[in-house]
Amino acid sequence: MPSELETAMESLIKVFHRYASKEGRSGTLSRRELRELMENELSNFLRSQKDPAAVDKIMKDLDTNGDGQVDFEEFVSLVVGLSIACEQCYKMHLKKMGNM
Amino acid sequence: MESAIKTLVTTFISSSKGKENLDSKGFKNLVEKQFSSILEDANSADKVKEMQQGLDANADGKVSFGEYLTLVGYLAQSMSDRKTAAAAQSD
Repeated sequence: MPSELETAMESLIKVFHRYASKEGRSGTLSRRELRELMENELSNFLRSQKDPAAVDKIMKDLDTNGDGQVDFEEFVSLVVGLSIACEQCYKMHLKKMGNM
Repeated sequence: MESAIKTLVTTFISSSKGKENLDSKGFKNLVEKQFSSILEDANSADKVKEMQQGLDANADGKVSFGEYLTLVGYLAQSMSDRKTAAAAQSD
């Protein structure tokens, strides 16, 4: 029986591969696939998917090997970045509630 | 995907009991509780200690949220690689 965290990791992997296999090289996200992923999967966390320049910038930041695609390792950086932002937000929220 | 990210965050926060870092005991509990089905070494105290030292980039004896994410990222990467290899084989 997988744990909560294992299930979460599994679902991140599935999401990545679902979008990565849409067009072109499967196993990596093209700019369009990244935008679709952000639009459909991160609509509450991010607003920048609506801004083409912001998508370009995120793409550029993630694409550390400069091949114009986002591979899984590079996608993990996005997840890490969002998690850190989410953690800080959560802490602020707890502070506000007076739990910390 | 957003709920998966929330799980990454809340799992760490509940293991560290709201503190900034996980101490050795907290890390051991987290690994045992969360990774027992994907990590063979999850129940070996020595291996978990080794893993903790490996993650501890700033060598403060604790596991920070960032160091924990390194482990999650690493495990996710190897799960993903395995999945890709399995898919290639069945093609």
